[in-house]
Amino acid sequence: MGLGVAELRQAAWYPVASSDDLPFRHVYHGQLLGQELAIWRADDGNVNVWENRCLHRGVRLSIGINDGAELKCQYHGWRYANRTAGCTYIPAHPADAPARRITNRTYPVKERFGLVWAALSPEAPEPELAEAGFALRPMPVNALPEMVLTALMRRRLAGGAVTALPPLGAALVLEGTPGRASYFVQPVDSARAVIRGVVDTEPDLETLLAFNAALSALRDEVEVEARAIELPEPIVPRYEPVSVELATMPDLVIGRQATVRVKVKRRWQAALDVTGIELVPLSGHLPTFQPGAHIDLHLSNGMVRQYSITNGPGELLSYTIAVKREADSRGGSAAITDTLREGDVLAVSEPRNNFPLRRDALRTTFIAGGIGLTPLLSMARALQRQGLAFDFHAFARSEGHLPLGPELEALGGGVTRHFGLGPAETAAQIRHALGPHSFSRHAYICGPGPMLELARGLATELGWPDEAVHYEYFKNTHEIDTSSSFVVELARSALSLAVPAGKSILEVMREAGIDAPSSCEQGACGTCLTRVLEGEIDHQDVYLNATEQASGNVMMTCVSRAKSARLVLDI
Amino acid sequence: MAITLYDFELSAGCYAARLMLSILGVRYDTVSVDIYPGSDNRSEWFLKLNPEGTLPVIVDDGFTVSNAHPCLIHLAGKYDATDRWSPIHDPLVHPLMLGWFDFARRLTASAGVARTGVAFGGDADLPALQLEAHRLLRQLDEHLWFGEKQGRDWLVEGEHPTIADIAVFPDVTLSEEGGVSRQDYPAIRRWLDRVRRIPGFVVMSGVFPAAPAYSPLR
Repeated sequence: MGLGVAELRQAAWYPVASSDDLPFRHVYHGQLLGQELAIWRADDGNVNVWENRCLHRGVRLSIGINDGAELKCQYHGWRYANRTAGCTYIPAHPADAPARRITNRTYPVKERFGLVWAALSPEAPEPELAEAGFALRPMPVNALPEMVLTALMRRRLAGGAVTALPPLGAALVLEGTPGRASYFVQPVDSARAVIRGVVDTEPDLETLLAFNAALSALRDEVEVEARAIELPEPIVPRYEPVSVELATMPDLVIGRQATVRVKVKRRWQAALDVTGIELVPLSGHLPTFQPGAHIDLHLSNGMVRQYSITNGPGELLSYTIAVKREADSRGGSAAITDTLREGDVLAVSEPRNNFPLRRDALRTTFIAGGIGLTPLLSMARALQRQGLAFDFHAFARSEGHLPLGPELEALGGGVTRHFGLGPAETAAQIRHALGPHSFSRHAYICGPGPMLELARGLATELGWPDEAVHYEYFKNTHEIDTSSSFVVELARSALSLAVPAGKSILEVMREAGIDAPSSCEQGACGTCLTRVLEGEIDHQDVYLNATEQASGNVMMTCVSRAKSARLVLDI
Repeated sequence: MAITLYDFELSAGCYAARLMLSILGVRYDTVSVDIYPGSDNRSEWFLKLNPEGTLPVIVDDGFTVSNAHPCLIHLAGKYDATDRWSPIHDPLVHPLMLGWFDFARRLTASAGVARTGVAFGGDADLPALQLEAHRLLRQLDEHLWFGEKQGRDWLVEGEHPTIADIAVFPDVTLSEEGGVSRQDYPAIRRWLDRVRRIPGFVVMSGVFPAAPAYSPLR
């Protein structure tokens, strides 16, 4: 009869829930044409309609935890971001950033007239609806969706006008109801439907009861009919693989890439010498990021600079970064703070995370020096959202030098501010903040080089193991010694390349047509981390900790070199 | 004062007793009674305690009370000093509470029997039991949906939940183990969230905590 499943899939938008079905921190269990849906509203008001299936073990996400910014699977705790459904955290791998292709399937969604609408096909035309509406109590019916529509037409008030609302609906006056309503039949499955009625003035309780009684009677009648016929098999849900864009290797482009276009929505003075910049997508939302992630900004003068995303989890309508104008700027920070205007369009890289946050520590300590608080702010926001314990120590020359003060304020009682301290006082405060190491404590440190060295040294002194001390340098201030020359063998590519003095391994590989990811290209950010199979490494970066450097099996190809004549890389 | 709960982890009725004890913050000892596969409830020693052979049984300072609803009435009556969980002196509340106890019994006889049938085997007529369970859940969803429209969060009128909510909750929250989906009952799913946010709520096998949110209770 009528339209087949394929046509119904393509045809249109369907209501899948009432707006009232999505209260604070709830996950609604929906279904459309056999496809189960997890529907939830984030605290920012955004409604997510996702395939009801965790990508890990297939458990329904509708029994998961809506924490207001992320949805957490009940089974092994994988977390997915509001808007993108990108995975942000895998508890079994607390020290790693999840791959970007771990992204759940999302459906387009609109919220209108007291109902939440979704489309299984992105090409579906926009829903055409009345201007105002209030949802009646939805009425689930165990019958073929088209039988339900037929019954609605049959039980309309004799002589009343009918307006068709394709593909499965009609506006009419139903017998026994106080007035005209638009009825949309949601095809849940081949033999299940929900009647979703909308009226155009806010109904009082008596009106709602009257509509409910009429729809209940209609349901009972249709269900009797449905029991008399042979019902079709349930629709087999389609589990489509992740999009081609996510599943395939990106096109080979040598060098740093800037695939995302953003617009400067707002710039403001975030502290003395610090400019706050809010970047928004040209349309839709921005890619998933995890706390600690940074983006490369490609500037009009050809320079590329890294800035940490400061946002909290699930905030993908904009990235907020903070840029400090360096007195000795080589042109990067000056180009941003002096010439960037609101409305300018910029090219940025996808977010990259080489500074991932563990979300399983009993207590996390953040130590931020000046502008170094940017990645830590994003991390603290994630822990705050999850109700995990942290303390945040922000060091600055003066209150006026403290970037993003109001944002820091919002983190609450765990924040301590330290202004204008000399080296000895700073050391005393850091020592106090860290204390002796105890089980399941982690520290995240970001700030100027000398402060980082100090904090790392103190942590070691206080018995903190390397794996509990996480840090990110702004830049590598060491003089890079490029005087050595050696041979690198690329084991997977079956290539031998001679690296002469004055050139980095990364540069030599690129000249040979080997693409390798990189970002800061000064041994600070961690993007070009490469496994080493053989040879003695001459570490010159500030990304790897002492234990990692001593292991001899990883290196940063942008600055580090070989002490031996030959180095074998896993590339 | 010592309370002993004779308990079977997978029993919905025992879960109701554990919930009430935990919510009221009452300390108790547990004696595990293995109904399946052990049939401990048919053993001589247990039948001396409760000749019916049913769980839960609470022995409180020498006073013995059997089955979920009497246990709830006893616990709320004795340990809820505020009288909010079981306001038996309120003629507008008490009869409604008893009505929900009847509803809970019908749910146990349908959704509950379907669940134990699936879990432990036996000759339960699953389709008939599931049909009856859906009939009851439709009523419950309608009651709760219109309750929300009138500002009522719980089964019975009032700001605070009652032992009626605790009596009905276990068989509803475990219904899917008996093949009774709650997908068509969004108002029930929201009420389950509210119950799971009551301070002192505990989970059991197959029951997950709700996302933290504002609890209407303090």
